[in-house]
Amino acid sequence: MKAHNADKTCWNCPAAIFKGNVDFRACGQSKEGLKKFKEDKQIMIECERRPELGYFDPSITFEECPEWQMTEYGYLLKNMRVMILGIDGYLGWTLALKLGSLGCKVSGIDNFFRRNCVKEKGSHSIVPIASMSERLQAAKEVLDIDIEFRNIDILDRENLARFMKEVKPEAIVHYGECPSAPYSMVDCDHAIKVQYNNVIGTLGLLFLIKDIVPESCLIKLGTLGEYGSPLTGRPLFEGIFPSDAVLIWDNREWSLGGELTPRDPVSFYHVSKVQDTFNVYEACKYWWLRSYDVMQGVIYGTYTEQVAADERLRTRLDIDEWFGTVVNRLVAQAVLGMPLTVYGEGEQIRGLIALEDAMECMVRLISSPPEPGQYDVVNQVSGLHKVSELAETITEVSTEKFGRYTKIQRLENPRVEADIHPFEVVSQKLPNMLGFRPKVSLEKEITRMLELLTQPEIEERIRKVSNTIMPRTWWSGEHKETRVLEIYEPGAKRVEGYEPKLIVGEPEKQMLEKVKVKIPVVS
Amino acid sequence: MSRHERIVIVGIDGVPCGLMKNLSDEGVMPNFRELRKDGVFTKMLSSIPEVSSVSWSSIITGKNPGEHGVYGFTDIIKGTYTLSFHHSSNLKAPTFWQKNESKKCVVVNVPSTYPAQKINGVLISGFVSPDLEKAVYPPSYLEELKSLNYKIDIDSEKGHKSRRLLFEELFETLKLRRKVSESLWEQIAWDIFMIVLTGTDRLGHFLWDAYENKNHESHTEFLEFFRHVDEFVGSIDSRLEENDSLIILSDHGMESIETNMNVNVCLANEGYLVLGDNPKKGYNDIKNGTKAFALEPGRIYLNKEGKYPRGCVKGRDEDRLIEDLVDLFSRLERNGKKVMKKVYRKEEIYQGSHLERAPDLVLLSNSGFNLKAGLHKQQLFEEGSFTGKHTQDDAFLYVRNRENLSIVPEEPSVEDVITILDKQIEGE
Repeated sequence: MKAHNADKTCWNCPAAIFKGNVDFRACGQSKEGLKKFKEDKQIMIECERRPELGYFDPSITFEECPEWQMTEYGYLLKNMRVMILGIDGYLGWTLALKLGSLGCKVSGIDNFFRRNCVKEKGSHSIVPIASMSERLQAAKEVLDIDIEFRNIDILDRENLARFMKEVKPEAIVHYGECPSAPYSMVDCDHAIKVQYNNVIGTLGLLFLIKDIVPESCLIKLGTLGEYGSPLTGRPLFEGIFPSDAVLIWDNREWSLGGELTPRDPVSFYHVSKVQDTFNVYEACKYWWLRSYDVMQGVIYGTYTEQVAADERLRTRLDIDEWFGTVVNRLVAQAVLGMPLTVYGEGEQIRGLIALEDAMECMVRLISSPPEPGQYDVVNQVSGLHKVSELAETITEVSTEKFGRYTKIQRLENPRVEADIHPFEVVSQKLPNMLGFRPKVSLEKEITRMLELLTQPEIEERIRKVSNTIMPRTWWSGEHKETRVLEIYEPGAKRVEGYEPKLIVGEPEKQMLEKVKVKIPVVS
Repeated sequence: MSRHERIVIVGIDGVPCGLMKNLSDEGVMPNFRELRKDGVFTKMLSSIPEVSSVSWSSIITGKNPGEHGVYGFTDIIKGTYTLSFHHSSNLKAPTFWQKNESKKCVVVNVPSTYPAQKINGVLISGFVSPDLEKAVYPPSYLEELKSLNYKIDIDSEKGHKSRRLLFEELFETLKLRRKVSESLWEQIAWDIFMIVLTGTDRLGHFLWDAYENKNHESHTEFLEFFRHVDEFVGSIDSRLEENDSLIILSDHGMESIETNMNVNVCLANEGYLVLGDNPKKGYNDIKNGTKAFALEPGRIYLNKEGKYPRGCVKGRDEDRLIEDLVDLFSRLERNGKKVMKKVYRKEEIYQGSHLERAPDLVLLSNSGFNLKAGLHKQQLFEEGSFTGKHTQDDAFLYVRNRENLSIVPEEPSVEDVITILDKQIEGE
């Protein structure tokens, strides 16, 4: 079967340096419209990797270019230079090893923001992680991967610029943001800290990309939470309305095709992500940058082949109320036999994806850059689940496979959100355009997590910080404990509310063609 | 006969002999009118195809494309279908400045000399030159050009946006060209000075109708631009000394467009060209079963087995296919008018050691038909936004040699210019 990106061309390749727009009809040349495809003119590029080709038109397909080599995830640029911002984090480190093992030249920055924030909470990564220098050494020893690391704050544009000029990244994965809704809701200082780091960090980064590596693709981590969960049940499209979407009002009708879909953030952290979305979207429009905005579901798990290869290569796993995502937190509770905590009715529906699957998605995105000026959005989820059902599944696995029985407890919901809501998510691009098929079921990853977390050393580390699991950060700004509403036996609670719906099927061909015209190229 | 001290060549791109005659007769170009009294002014045949890259390459080398290896602004990278753009290293015959290394030369804005190669003197490349940094030799002149905001060419996109911007670009570029040439004229003790004005060609493409139609709203500005060109010629002439020689010439002519004709559409309609549906793949979208394809403006290449990735034309079938294509294009008509004046087989027009890159057929259109090679077009004939197209048989040549006018052949072509130049260098 043909690889998903076989037919991509130099238009998509970061090695293509756009040099001129030649109009043979007028025998004229121009620097305007340099990255805009038009049948009547000729775009001239130079290849940064194949200078011997001279000046040519950007028409070579990945399949035909020797610089793009076949991997299990499609064609990947040989020794592709990928810079990861936030390389010390849960995802950053995992992706660094994955990309390194695929032959990419990985570089990255981190200022250990996350390690410090977790420490601030009085917690730690329950999976012990090595220092960065030990990590780098182990990556070399165990996987023969060289990673170029710098301790740089994303807000330190001077040093980041210097590093970018040195590395000239061909793709930039932006994980360098504070990823916690509760952290942004602690108080004014925390809200400002999150928004300043995330919004200003990303805005500064966009300027640096424009000035230093304008052909590089920015793969920016957004969150499915940007969309909120509309009570009307309106589907959560992939960032942009499909071509056949219409708005009807006052007996009049308008096409919504190609417009950004509404965002309805649910914390100051989510607001920062929405602001990022607009900044990235505009930068693509103004400066012909290219970006994927990855609306990632809640991530969970501990396993990839690379992080499992050596104890020193493991990635962090947080369970505190600020940084512990729902599955990770519940599994840790199951290890200790603590009742698994759900907020409010527990009928909230979340899009989820396992760490291993998420990393594969990222590789596929890196391997398939958009065209200049193209801002594209993918919804990166492999399944939708109600929180109460997640708790049921986790306690079932932990009881049956590990003999650790737990109950489930409902807490007062400290967040301002609907406990019960419809949820329909469209995730068609990754499966249909990027060839992604989820490999990891919820049960499988929970099992792998429990195998790791029930190791005595790690269980002890969970016990030490178990007091940080219970939520104390109220969206109302109040400072108080959350009280238990109910404790129940697994299977005892009747499932109510709405059924989640995940749309992954191939969009109709006609619609896709329209989308191709209307959506990806922002002119 | 006395030896000439210096030689100046002024190129005026895309200007037909008739225009130079008319505008000098009518007083728009008084300096050129004066010059005509004192030299040979004649029509000149352009190259085939009649495009600047080929024509100027013949002018500066004295060779036909079979010898200098340049058949257009574009070519296909060997063993692929990827379209490449001309690079000065593709020129396989020595230029006059390479042949006369002891002469100090200033060469400004000659098309297809990018990137600038080493020269005894100064070279500033002309169209197509994506980066000024690589268009200047020696690089020490770069700063001066940058400080002047030197422009290699008009920004053609601006021309599409507004007529006002087009003229602003044209006048500004001409002014800069003059400024740079005057500066180099003074700074360097040159023996041969060559400068090409390309704005005339751009103006012709955009607004040939403004020349032909006296009531056109841009007619006055069109003439005004040529007045400036004439002033430039006059200023050069005024600085020449008694023994200096002067050559003024164009690379091809210009005429009005009746219609554009898409050569590849013709090939596709007749089943010779099979394309996919992705315009961004350019010529890489050529599919199995393709027998021939065209590059700008009317160069036909057989999709030969072993030469191209999906080549299918076997050696034994080539002659037959050529016959068929000659027949196809020779018969092509629109409204009862033949589209092609002549369909040339490569061996009819090219000789030399670089024939392997030559197109198998070259189309020369009849008056009014503008040949285009857009790949994924739908219409065989279509209107466009331009009003002027190149012509092959009415470029012009002016030579002032006060002592011997017979050095100009009766029917000169672009390849003869170097012989005239050589004779002047030798002081015939």
